[in-house]
Amino acid sequence: MAKSFPYGGYVGQLLRVNLSNKGITKEDLREDWARDFVGGVGLTARILYEEIPPKIDPLGPENKLVMMTGPVNGTMIPAASRSSFCAKSPYTKSFFHSIFGGFLGPELKFAGYDGLIIEGQSEKPVYIWINDDKVEVRDAGHLWGKDPFTTQDILRREIGDEEIHIATIGLAGEEKAPYAMILCDIRASGRGGMGAVMGSKNLKAIAIRGTGNVTVPNMLRVYNTSVRINEIFATNPGVQGLSGYGTPRNVAAMNEGGILPTRNWQTETFKGMKNITGEAMREQVVKGDRACFACSINCTKYSVVPRGPYKSVINGADYETIYAFGSICEVDNIEVLCKADELCDYYGIDLISTGLCIGWAMECYEKGIFTKKDTDGIDLRFGNADGMLEMIEKIGKREGLGELLAKGTRDASKIVGKGTEQFAIHNKGLEWPGHTCRPFPAAAVGYATGPRGGSHHDIRPTAEKSGLVDRKILEEKGGVAAEINHWLILGDSMLICHLGEPVWGPLKISDSMINALNAVTGWELDYEGARKLAEREWNMIRCFSAREGFTREDDRLPTRFMEEPVPEGPMQGSHIPKETLERLKDDYFTYRGWDLKTGNPTKQKLSELGLDFAIDDIC
Amino acid sequence: MARVKVKSFSVIRDVLGSEVVEIDVNQPETVGGLFQELLRRYGQPFKEKIWDPETGQIAPFLMKLNETIIRSTSDMDYKIHNGDKVAIIFPIGGG
Repeated sequence: MAKSFPYGGYVGQLLRVNLSNKGITKEDLREDWARDFVGGVGLTARILYEEIPPKIDPLGPENKLVMMTGPVNGTMIPAASRSSFCAKSPYTKSFFHSIFGGFLGPELKFAGYDGLIIEGQSEKPVYIWINDDKVEVRDAGHLWGKDPFTTQDILRREIGDEEIHIATIGLAGEEKAPYAMILCDIRASGRGGMGAVMGSKNLKAIAIRGTGNVTVPNMLRVYNTSVRINEIFATNPGVQGLSGYGTPRNVAAMNEGGILPTRNWQTETFKGMKNITGEAMREQVVKGDRACFACSINCTKYSVVPRGPYKSVINGADYETIYAFGSICEVDNIEVLCKADELCDYYGIDLISTGLCIGWAMECYEKGIFTKKDTDGIDLRFGNADGMLEMIEKIGKREGLGELLAKGTRDASKIVGKGTEQFAIHNKGLEWPGHTCRPFPAAAVGYATGPRGGSHHDIRPTAEKSGLVDRKILEEKGGVAAEINHWLILGDSMLICHLGEPVWGPLKISDSMINALNAVTGWELDYEGARKLAEREWNMIRCFSAREGFTREDDRLPTRFMEEPVPEGPMQGSHIPKETLERLKDDYFTYRGWDLKTGNPTKQKLSELGLDFAIDDIC
Repeated sequence: MARVKVKSFSVIRDVLGSEVVEIDVNQPETVGGLFQELLRRYGQPFKEKIWDPETGQIAPFLMKLNETIIRSTSDMDYKIHNGDKVAIIFPIGGG
């Protein structure tokens, strides 16, 4: 058992599993690190900065894969079910956090651990079985080559417990495909190749059963805080629609606003939109709603295509699925999108990167850069639904053109050349999510400077997309982006869900977020205290990237966003020219107290935040 | 009086009953006047989708007035005219 921890919500214990020597140790969570970095992503960034040397091979034994919870996980605080997998990414080559919902995070805490650190590399396939304080590294030879859902079924039967929660990789993770994901029950730790890191360790799965609980200093305070946040969720116009339509609620509205990325971002209006909206999905395939642990938002849709060539059963589709395979590839059939989603889960690949890689290949094909010889005979035009599904299979198996596309658009376009880098839609190697920044300067600088690059969870475009902030004004957008960074990173350290954005943010850390953290931990943070935590965490991650060699020059946008204005619709003409981006970066770095030339935190800033240990590394 | 077409989606469309509805707006013939008329006609269910009870204010969202994007937070005084089209573009976070 862990010793008594001074702050509520924490177990006070980390589990460390070394797969090279099968060593299993339980160690105390450092109180000062919990207080300074909270948990989740912030705490993991601190741990990995300490424990893994710079410039290591992300797929080598020196990399570590960390599953971390936050203090609010496992309590009744709503939208706080999440957990993070973090490592040095084989895809972006820096610190990466890939967050998922469901039940796995709370289960780890119930088993008695705030986090799980996986290090080393097993010689043979194994899985980790955590059954409260009993932890084993077991042979997984019989699971290797199996898809995630089959693996989960086998493990539940083998262990004899239907209630266990399981994280597992698919074929892509086993093959160390750069954007392989980890499937966590039905949710995905999808982005940045965390599945490849897991596969590189010959780790097929992590199965968890916990029967403990989470202790808080004042139960009534946590109860009242939870009731209050649930009340706000239930009545906030920006949250309540998620129960009915899930994130696909966005599709029709964004198309109307001319901000639905289409045809590999050649335009932002999709003529086939009507068939792939949240409304169409609800009418045609949705059979029920599902929620994560202790969450009242209920955003996940359970969808079934009962028969026909696109027969599938999925938890989704989410907006990002509809974007990546629908509007990006111009496929206007919701059943096809369900099948695409299912295939990505089956192989264990990130669906955003997969869809964007296929969209890029479709553009190569239509421009005559690829012919049928390159595409294994597939007529890879935009809108070819069956061709798109075939390409997902090829990426999953790394066959033919799939081998090239499995590398991602950055590397694939470098290999192909011929100007294809122009329409490779990524930043820092990570393909773009379905939220534009061409009309939104705060979002643009947030994306560009984000540690992960193409992630809508390092910045949120909602502030400008809702009109809360005037998108037409460039001034002070650096500060807007920085404060959005702050509520996001504090949320990712508590591990709360960003879909509660209007309540947790949306422009800065909200009272609701601070109240939840204080209620659970017993802290009495005010806004400035919470903001300082967030700023420290954000700078910690920037230090990790700087130590890896990232500089201001890496804070980019896709060339298309800088050089090709939106050609039609109400946002016609929108783009972020390079000189505008540089001006926005100046504003952002100045606001943050970072060096304008390098983009690194300054010595003064690091001292101010108590990050002196990083000064010699990056200043 | 101005007769305008209002286009909406998902939960707001569900309240209005159709993707496009025609609304007669009397004084003031502004976007704000249109929302007051929608509120009068569709009552509490509409209010719940548009107004934030925590602030008492209309929630932030964009609209498309004909082909121009305007904001609920600053542009409710925009004049509307007979035959105008107003689309309600209410964003949420993507997953």
